Amino acid sequence: MGTTDHLYAAEDRTTLILNRVDDLWRGDSSYAVVTMRVKTEHYTRTMRMEGWSKGKEKTLFRVLEPLREKGTMTLKSDNHIYTYLPKTDRTIRLTSGMMMGSWMGSHLTNDDLVKEARLEEDYDASISFEGVRDGQEIIEFTLTPKPDAPVVWGKLLLTILADSYTPLEERYFDEDMQLARTFTFTDMKLLSGKMRPALLRVVPADRPDEYTEFIYEELELNIEVSDAMFTKASLKRR
Amino acid sequence: MRILTLASRNVRRNWHRSLVTMLAMAFACFIMIFFSSLMEGMMQGSERSVVSMNMGDIQIHAQGYRDDPDIYTRIESPDALVAEIEKQGFRAASRIYSYGLLAANMASSGVQLRGVDLKQEMSVTELHRHLGSGVWLDEDDSNGVVVGKKLAGTLGVELGDELVFVGQSADGYMANELFRVRGVLKSVSDGIDRMGMFMPMQTLRDLMAMPDGTHEIVVIRPDRSSDLDIETAKIALLAEGLEVKNWKQLMPVVARMIETADVQIMIMLVIFYIAVATVVLNAMLMNVFERIHEFGIMKALGVSPWQLVGLVFAETMMMALLAAFTGLLGGWWIADYYQTHGIDMSAIAGSISYGGIAFDPVWYAALTAESLIYPFVFLLLVAALAVIYPAAKAALLSPVKAIYFR
Repeated sequence: MGTTDHLYAAEDRTTLILNRVDDLWRGDSSYAVVTMRVKTEHYTRTMRMEGWSKGKEKTLFRVLEPLREKGTMTLKSDNHIYTYLPKTDRTIRLTSGMMMGSWMGSHLTNDDLVKEARLEEDYDASISFEGVRDGQEIIEFTLTPKPDAPVVWGKLLLTILADSYTPLEERYFDEDMQLARTFTFTDMKLLSGKMRPALLRVVPADRPDEYTEFIYEELELNIEVSDAMFTKASLKRR
Repeated sequence: MRILTLASRNVRRNWHRSLVTMLAMAFACFIMIFFSSLMEGMMQGSERSVVSMNMGDIQIHAQGYRDDPDIYTRIESPDALVAEIEKQGFRAASRIYSYGLLAANMASSGVQLRGVDLKQEMSVTELHRHLGSGVWLDEDDSNGVVVGKKLAGTLGVELGDELVFVGQSADGYMANELFRVRGVLKSVSDGIDRMGMFMPMQTLRDLMAMPDGTHEIVVIRPDRSSDLDIETAKIALLAEGLEVKNWKQLMPVVARMIETADVQIMIMLVIFYIAVATVVLNAMLMNVFERIHEFGIMKALGVSPWQLVGLVFAETMMMALLAAFTGLLGGWWIADYYQTHGIDMSAIAGSISYGGIAFDPVWYAALTAESLIYPFVFLLLVAALAVIYPAAKAALLSPVKAIYFR
């Protein structure tokens, strides 16, 4: 009996921490202004966009800068991704064949957008390390996808600061358990009334010289967002 | 003894049997000429489908492009290389490729865009003549595109319909553009049918922000009968540091199939001529047995065994020659007819594809010197072989027994 109690307690704690991590940027609904910086072997580009989300199913991004791409929108509604192209004034739906394609030239794929998950719902988590590493008190979670979760990864390693539950690093491993990419979280800043990491950097493991950065400029959580915003029709109206 | 006179009289004497034997031989010769010219035609047609539709004889890529078709893996200064290749008497054309998403109505599909050098490409491949509907690209209609057959079906588009392309240009921006369907191709190859979209090269360069370089150079040799490996080596010498491969290396499965057609012709020839040999053997044996009495008398009159052998051979050769010429003329005529008219297989097979390559459903014969001479020579050879036994039989008769043979 004692051991089960202890297990439950451990589980509760893990769940609690993971939800805290998830809610750092999302909440029930959110509005954010983000700058995306992509550096690859062949180009470096910066893009500023604003985005709304509601739950984990609905997300909408609109490009603010550069001028050349201003107004381009990406709508994720359930499992579909639509892109609105102001230049051609057309909305298109991305087919499954395009899911592994890069999203807006970044190191994220369209699939990452669709599969955006709450850690606690799709993964079984366990604490694999707790203690001091590189002079910081940290907790490291090993997350393995639940059998029926729509996840392409083999496992995730999530490292957070022990005292504030602030994520430091998230490492994605593919199904062969090879490191695929690393997310790092830095630049603590006051966002939506709380200190949160404002800089999220993705580095693909096979191209360590390249990266995509997301810099949060503005973040509002749990705001009023209408469902009508996340429909195909709304793309055209804007 | 004048063997030839005697032989011709003997042939005419039993003209019924001679005619039947000759007809059998002529028919075999005729069929073989027809068959081998059809097979030759199929080989040439297949090679043509593979090579002149899209592949070219030889392709040049930057190292590593074929394994990982990355937009940045390009052949630098392609124009100089193309000019140099053309100086050697070849025809060559550059192509650039890109990938992205094509949408029409609410359907979308991944596509491979191909930028075509309109001036050069038409002299290298025949794709521009392979349209199911509409017209080929035109430099003046920069947003008019030609799409693959299945792709048009997937997107549900027809001529004049609008297509939206989204992709990523070389400088990292979103590339998006409206295109219009100008033409739909007939079946070419699996890849092109399913996701091919062709446009003028400059359009794709602008779209992809890729001002120079090219992904592929296709080369076609001036003389189809020249040795492909030697020609490949010549090109490899010009394209230093680049990957040069001929179509047989690029499509080994199809190349193998075409090569084995040669063996098939030989096997068919052998089977056919064994049948002809039996007919000749049978006819001549009957001939000899029927005339045992007569041969006996000839021997008694002092005709030597070798003269008898000569006589039987001469009779056979006379018939065989006559039959071979008839067969040759008939075969020549029919092969020539089907060389120009072709057999339309589309009613039976619709579109024929093998190894991802669509083949022309109209089957043309190809008249070559070999397809005429081989059956002709083979027939004479077989007749000569088949008659050895009857001739020997006649030569070895004992005159007394033969005279009283009934």
